[in-house]
Amino acid sequence: MKRKMRGRGVAASWYGIARTATIDRAGAWAELDDGGTAKVLTGVTEIGEGILTLLSQVAAEELGVKPEQVTIGDNDTARSPEAAHAGATRQTYMIGNSVALACREAKARLFDEIAQAWEVPVEDLRSFDGFLWAESTNKRITMEEAVALCKKRGVVPVGSGSFTAHGTGLDPVDGHGSPWQAYVFGTQVAEVEVDTITGEVQVLGIWAAHDVGRAINPRGVEGQIEGGVVQGLGQALMEDYQTSEGHPVTHGFAKYILPTSLDVPQINSVIVEDPDPLSPLGAKGIGEPSLIPTAPAVMNAIYDAIGARIRDLPATPERVLAALHEKRRADAQTA
Amino acid sequence: MPELELDLTVNGRRITRHVDPSYRLLDLLRDDLALTGTKEGCGAGECGTCSVFVDGKLFKSCLMPASKAQGTTIETIEGLSRPGELTPVQRAFHKTGASQCGYCIPGMVMAATSALRENPAAGIEEIKERMGGNICRCTGYTKIFEAVEIARDVIAGTLPETALNPELTKTSYIGHNTRRLDAPSKVSGRLKYAGDMEMQGMLHMQVLRSPHAHARISRIDTSKAEALPGVHCVITCDDVPGEDGFGVFVHDQPIMARGKVRHVGEAVAAVAADTVRIAREATKLIAVEYEPLPGLYDPEEALRPGAPVIHDYAADNVVKHIPLRKGDIETGFAAAELIIEERFSTQQVEHAYLEPEAGIAYVDHDDVVTVISPSQNITHHRHMLSTIIDKPINKVRFIMSPVGGGFGGKEDMIYQGMLALSAMKSGRPVRLVFTREESIMASAKRHPSRTSYRMGLTKEGRITAVEFSMLSDGGAYGMSSEGVMRKAAILSCGPYEVENIKVDTTVVYTNNTPSGAFRTFGGMQAQFATESMMDMAAEKLGLDPFEIRRRNMMKAGSRTHTQQTLNSASIDRVLEAAETASRWEAGPPNVRGANRSDLDGPDTRQPCTLGARFNEARHQIEKAKVAS
Ligand code: FES
Ligand code: FES
Repeated sequence: MKRKMRGRGVAASWYGIARTATIDRAGAWAELDDGGTAKVLTGVTEIGEGILTLLSQVAAEELGVKPEQVTIGDNDTARSPEAAHAGATRQTYMIGNSVALACREAKARLFDEIAQAWEVPVEDLRSFDGFLWAESTNKRITMEEAVALCKKRGVVPVGSGSFTAHGTGLDPVDGHGSPWQAYVFGTQVAEVEVDTITGEVQVLGIWAAHDVGRAINPRGVEGQIEGGVVQGLGQALMEDYQTSEGHPVTHGFAKYILPTSLDVPQINSVIVEDPDPLSPLGAKGIGEPSLIPTAPAVMNAIYDAIGARIRDLPATPERVLAALHEKRRADAQTA
Repeated sequence: MPELELDLTVNGRRITRHVDPSYRLLDLLRDDLALTGTKEGCGAGECGTCSVFVDGKLFKSCLMPASKAQGTTIETIEGLSRPGELTPVQRAFHKTGASQCGYCIPGMVMAATSALRENPAAGIEEIKERMGGNICRCTGYTKIFEAVEIARDVIAGTLPETALNPELTKTSYIGHNTRRLDAPSKVSGRLKYAGDMEMQGMLHMQVLRSPHAHARISRIDTSKAEALPGVHCVITCDDVPGEDGFGVFVHDQPIMARGKVRHVGEAVAAVAADTVRIAREATKLIAVEYEPLPGLYDPEEALRPGAPVIHDYAADNVVKHIPLRKGDIETGFAAAELIIEERFSTQQVEHAYLEPEAGIAYVDHDDVVTVISPSQNITHHRHMLSTIIDKPINKVRFIMSPVGGGFGGKEDMIYQGMLALSAMKSGRPVRLVFTREESIMASAKRHPSRTSYRMGLTKEGRITAVEFSMLSDGGAYGMSSEGVMRKAAILSCGPYEVENIKVDTTVVYTNNTPSGAFRTFGGMQAQFATESMMDMAAEKLGLDPFEIRRRNMMKAGSRTHTQQTLNSASIDRVLEAAETASRWEAGPPNVRGANRSDLDGPDTRQPCTLGARFNEARHQIEKAKVAS
């Protein structure tokens, strides 16, 4: 066996979107504001994944303004409607859809007034990127003008939305039930190099194909895949929280080893879109699912490289060497 | 203590300050100069969130005593550009989406700026190495590298400035790479996380934590601590006015230990005082008498008859057991031509968000108890707190501050209750910021797991039956354990249609650090086992790993492990996409790495040998110098 051995492995995965085995719900309020800007209120948003930006894109698209014209007031139980928690890969699905519904209602208010003022059928009205117009006419104004006109007629264009995902509980005996209404699937391939003297594993490439329903911000989706892959890689190869008789042994980052810039493989993301038929946006989610296939793909790749199967995570250099030693012993016995 | 007089230049301004001699440069910047763009992620030189320039060189300000800064010139993230402006590095971070939670980002921007100042022509490998002292838990670094390369080229003039501009759209904002709206505040260090916030009259909290894994508390005497000048209040479980207890599924955890402690690091009492130092001194004056109890440190031991009981309500130590039954596994295994039996385990994992837990609580003019913190579940937290402090829901308000990374770890209400109680007792705003060590010992981890797996297959590779049993260590409190076990069970056998299954997932109490919510919520642990089994089966059957997965994958109309009928399943599409993108060479997974033809493509990175790239870069610079 050469010192440095390479190999590849694959792993597939699946995941459910929004809260598990229960009904899930989220609410939002929207208002088309002066200057053709917009306000959106919802109860929970950013934990770093980019949901604020995504919601502003959804609001912009639904209302006909620009994302940077949307102000999102959020995260306050006393000032915004309930949207529950930032987890369960539910934000795009639950809050994205409730914001879309709230914006549709606000826009409908605006469009009703403009249609009456212009004496055109409301179905002919369109708005995008700060402009509102009536199809096959030369009537076209800015959203700023549209909001002013609406308010002059005595109407504030506001709306609210509530979105529901119909999960059901599991039977306590056989577990039957429909825990989610939307599922996503993913597959990753890993390419590794194993140093058979030190036991060190380097992940050189990851190909990550994930269904997200609809990618509202493709770069944001990639960011979630890249972050998930690197957390998965950390769990696969190095991270190990340990206690001794309940006392933490790995109590700082000197002892608890995390992936750094030098550990990161080239990550090749492939976004697959299988839109969700049960929601206005068709988008599902990617936050958690991106992490799942990485560790098994890496373990399968290590096996491909050196023929040693790692069943216990993480695959530290010591474990890899021990597994290699065990394999050599077994090979010698059968030979 | 005598104060230290310091003269230095910070962001172009001469500054004279009298400071506490124990101050680090980081404290001087954050506490005295309000330059909170410089963050404290670890306080030990390991994460890089505190990076600044000292006389032009990149330094970790948590490692530098303030006294050493005498006479130096300091540049922080706030000094890189004028307010409202961004440097090319910052604009490139904005462009590529390099900031997620943003907590590492000021430090990353400093490290990137330093890398390009040191070598404006640095290649990607050198950039990676120069930024190796900065941890990011969110982004997977990829978009950060992309940003630094763009910035390098723009600064060098080999890319036009327009490369930093936003992408335009003519038709739709759905599917558009809209730049993150919060990026400018993150790349400039302007965004205030809870630990960066201050309020008038604000007190500082420190927490006394259990040194025992399992012990009865016979007495807590807080009188000496209360008498210490500068202390405003000391709180224990006796200060809880309502029904004590929180948790995501079962409310089994008191705000502070009640009668006994169940894990090392559990909160026992807390002090609010004028300064952090006084609060810390006061915690040492709290006398707690413990009677140690036998501890449980292994989930299998927890199930043994006669094992110590951790919670009275659960005499068997079981937090939750989730069973799934579908078809009949006896029939399924009888029909199998190959049966594989294996065991797998996964470890406890720390979230390691770079922002340690922090929060501020106050009681407002309308008697509304308000908690500002990076909570991932403000809705549920306000429900629980309203019961705990016995106030109507509209007198409890939770505000979610910017979250510097969560990943599930900030779903548990492990400190907000203490903040609320001390704000109520002292009548002042109170702030608590965890140290990294505190965060690691007191917050929940990913559930470790042990899985026994039996899989039956036909010669063609169709799975006929699966018997799957997972035991997990939930640690001292229930937190999200129930939900994690449920999700592990539902997803257990992977994206494959299996007629006959018997799945059991069980989580028990021990005296280890609690396990809780962590990105994938049990899905990762279960599918690690399944995906390893699929490859082992493929090898035995001589099948390509993609092929064996295709032969079993779910389709529209498939019945899941919980007997739900799927309307659609995109597994066929993602398998094909990964196979094509990776240029996969088909064949069974029988250790053919040495003979594969699909390795080492342009879509992989080169293996790294530390230092080699530096040497190479130096070599190139030398060569260039000689040439010019
Ligand atoms: S390196 Fe200074 S805070 Fe982490
Ligand atoms: S963006 Fe780097 S730690 Fe969150």
